[in-house]
Amino acid sequence: MTPRSLAEAARAAATLMLTAALLLGGDARAADAAAVTHYVLDPAKSSLEFTFLQAGAQNKGRFTRFQVAFDFAAANLAAGRLDVTVDINSVDTGDQERDETLRGADLFAVAKFPQAHFVASQINRTASGYEAVGKLTIRGVTHDARVPFAFRTATENGATVGYMTGKTSVRRLDYGVGQGDWKATDQVGNDVGVSFALRLAAH
Amino acid sequence: MAVRNTEHRWGALSQLFHWLIVVLIIVQVTLASLADDLPPSARKLALLARHKSVGITILMLVILRLLWRSLNLTPLLPDTLKPYERFLARFTHAALYVLLFAMPLSGWMMSSARGFPVSWFGFFTLPDLVPKNKSLYEALLTTHETLAWVLAAVVTLHVAAALKHHFMHRDDVLRRMLPFTTTPGPKA
Repeated sequence: MTPRSLAEAARAAATLMLTAALLLGGDARAADAAAVTHYVLDPAKSSLEFTFLQAGAQNKGRFTRFQVAFDFAAANLAAGRLDVTVDINSVDTGDQERDETLRGADLFAVAKFPQAHFVASQINRTASGYEAVGKLTIRGVTHDARVPFAFRTATENGATVGYMTGKTSVRRLDYGVGQGDWKATDQVGNDVGVSFALRLAAH
Repeated sequence: MAVRNTEHRWGALSQLFHWLIVVLIIVQVTLASLADDLPPSARKLALLARHKSVGITILMLVILRLLWRSLNLTPLLPDTLKPYERFLARFTHAALYVLLFAMPLSGWMMSSARGFPVSWFGFFTLPDLVPKNKSLYEALLTTHETLAWVLAAVVTLHVAAALKHHFMHRDDVLRRMLPFTTTPGPKA
């Protein structure tokens, strides 16, 4: 082999390797973006709150026990999934008597329906963030629901965490939360605002 | 009837304040006793919401009433009163005004301490007077109930005195607070 052809061969090999490296690297990056991350809730740093009109004034409450599972990849929304289970017994409006009333048969009926559940297997991108499209079940009644949310990730102490925030509203009577006298909306409004700020840990 | 008071007679506006507050106090007692007998329910919530709205209405009326009183003559007490009767009349009236403030204010504070903001018939929400605090709520509940009994006692004294003036002294002390009556004395 002449020195000239040797040099040519070396050049060809280098080009080939470079191309392969670029292709492989590119593939790796694309695969990274499409890889679905599974997140679980950090309960200590998460809140699920609601607001409601009682006797003409805004009142607040929260649920202290709930679970969240979230599968998400920004470049592969189709693989996304959000699953939220709320322990209704953990309702806390800051007033024991009111909480007991809420747990009672005419409102949440926790003895029969201890959990509320939201499951979304479709995540859409929106102008301001995302929305989870799925089914919400409260007091044994299921309806379609869309929950808008914002999501960002951060690296904290070398681990990936996600922050999910959003607010929506639920018409309590659509789910039968309010039987008998509680069906009236003059003292307790039908619209209940729901807001959440969740810290999720990548698993 | 003149709108303003004279030395001998309460004017229309003073009478309106007096009798409107009488009617609203009767409404308050009715709402409170109906609600007291109920377990937590939508009906109890509705009754107490009305009770709070009417209470705030009384508070607004008593403020206006005192303003009007300060801009007006106060009809004179009859000359025939003994000094202790004069004192008792003044004391009873002052106590009624104090209670007309203390009742709604203690109720409002009690609601704030419970963590239930007070709305005026759903039109606007009043600011919380005190932070949410369970033991403060319980103390204010006792205060509100005790003041209600004190009010009942002072009102009884006030009504008894008015009737005594009318039927025993046969003077115009009761009549001059009644619409559709005439009172003797110099006419304007």
